[in-house]
Amino acid sequence: MRLANAHVRIVLATLFAALVLVSVAFSLDLWSKPGQVRQLPLVDVEFLKTETWRRSYADLVKANADLSDFDCYTCHEEGKKQELKFDAKDQLVIPDEHSDIVMGHGTHGRNNNCFNCHNDANLLRLQPRDGRELKFEQSTLLCGSCHGPTYRDWEAGAHGRTSGYWNRTKEGLERGPSDGPFKKQDCVNCHNPHAPKFPGRKPAPPPNHLRDPRGGSEPPPPAP
Amino acid sequence: MDPQSNEIAAPPAAAINRRGFLRTSALFSAGAAALAASLKPLLELKDFTSMEQFLQKYYKEMTPADMAKVLARITREVERQYGVRPDVRDFKPMDGVEFVYALNLTRCIGCRKCVHACVAENNPSRSPEIQYIRVLKMPHGSLDIEKSDHNYNPEKVPEKGFFYMPVQCQQCKNPPCVKVCPVHATWQESDGITVIDYDWCIGCRYCMAACPYGARHFNFTKPSIPKERLNPEMAYLGNRPRKLGVTEKCHFCIQRTRAGRYPACLEVCPAGARKFGNILDPESEVARIIATKRVFIQLKEDLGTSPRFFYYFDV
Repeated sequence: MRLANAHVRIVLATLFAALVLVSVAFSLDLWSKPGQVRQLPLVDVEFLKTETWRRSYADLVKANADLSDFDCYTCHEEGKKQELKFDAKDQLVIPDEHSDIVMGHGTHGRNNNCFNCHNDANLLRLQPRDGRELKFEQSTLLCGSCHGPTYRDWEAGAHGRTSGYWNRTKEGLERGPSDGPFKKQDCVNCHNPHAPKFPGRKPAPPPNHLRDPRGGSEPPPPAP
Repeated sequence: MDPQSNEIAAPPAAAINRRGFLRTSALFSAGAAALAASLKPLLELKDFTSMEQFLQKYYKEMTPADMAKVLARITREVERQYGVRPDVRDFKPMDGVEFVYALNLTRCIGCRKCVHACVAENNPSRSPEIQYIRVLKMPHGSLDIEKSDHNYNPEKVPEKGFFYMPVQCQQCKNPPCVKVCPVHATWQESDGITVIDYDWCIGCRYCMAACPYGARHFNFTKPSIPKERLNPEMAYLGNRPRKLGVTEKCHFCIQRTRAGRYPACLEVCPAGARKFGNILDPESEVARIIATKRVFIQLKEDLGTSPRFFYYFDV
């Protein structure tokens, strides 16, 4: 009888101790740690900007920016016909004063002559092949004189960047808030006219994987 | 006859002696303390569903007065949680409008600016990360999603020999996600946008299993959004902050497009690869693209989901 009592006491004491331990563990929150989500770095706001990466002549005029780069006659002599120089391989030699210009219009290398697009008698004018003379602000018409289908797409908003409001119907349906301005960009807002192909750029960071313990930008190991 | 031993041997049956009382009460209080301690995690559940939210009506049954009350509650909750006063509205679909997205695979350079502009606009969780758009990199000459990679991170994009295909909610005409929802927390609106009522979602994730595009995302933890990155222009069915345990997905920036503006991913695209508009309007650029461009595809067309998201090429 005494032995049984001692046994019961031991069991009770053990249970008691276990309960106390459990309660201590709960109060100190030993195993479930909420808020262990790894804080990921926020994306650079540079990637969130909606501005175009180039500014057209019209934009520069509007922004009252420095237009001295477009004032050809501070260096060139007015009224004098410009001559192009070519090297032994028939490639255009770009003078040192214009070394910032990289010619790369088309992949065939045959459209790199200045006066294919600039007027050789009046450097302040652009010269499409149809004989018109265009101002720098009208460069989109110059591009369109060769790139017809792209120009038509651009006119309809199907080529190039658009921003603002999506409602295209001219009269405007009775929709209240949906009507508003719609902005298209000029060709030169996105394309460098001397080398129109899009330059490569750094991509924004890749996704962070929920199940990747490293959680970083590295991809998870490939499946076998 | 020792009187002491006599007392121990035969205690009165129902009497309370000092030692017994102390032992019993010590055990009881320890037990009560343990119980209280085990319930302690409940104290950390701060964001209980309020009674107001619990008794809220189904979205389609709400009167304008009900909706005004709900919007006021959301404004209050967001302000308490983030310290920013939001402008929460309930935008309704417009008559004669069906939204369609067209994406030019020839133009996309894979820069992922759309992914992050979308995150900045739509208030998804930043840690862990929820992104509505996934940009797949695929080798030229095939359209095999099995061969795609969305973890690419080279110095410069585009890479030679690859093209990029951003995938987001396709706003299907025949959406499998809507069919499986057991509580009708997600449905298709008349302008073609499939929306989710985050207050009605029970978090069963059937829709995530049903979606063939991986477009739906689940809040496995309470979403965390830094206060300075919170977009205060919100819509009930759109970008208001979500809570733990609900799904979310692209909704064509309902808070922008139903107010007439372009979606955020389109505005930021540096290549002009993204086009959006009203397909019922023949003047719109999407109508022109679908009518005149040479090839356009719908992703996983064979599943019969009939996406309102068209991929096209121009040569």
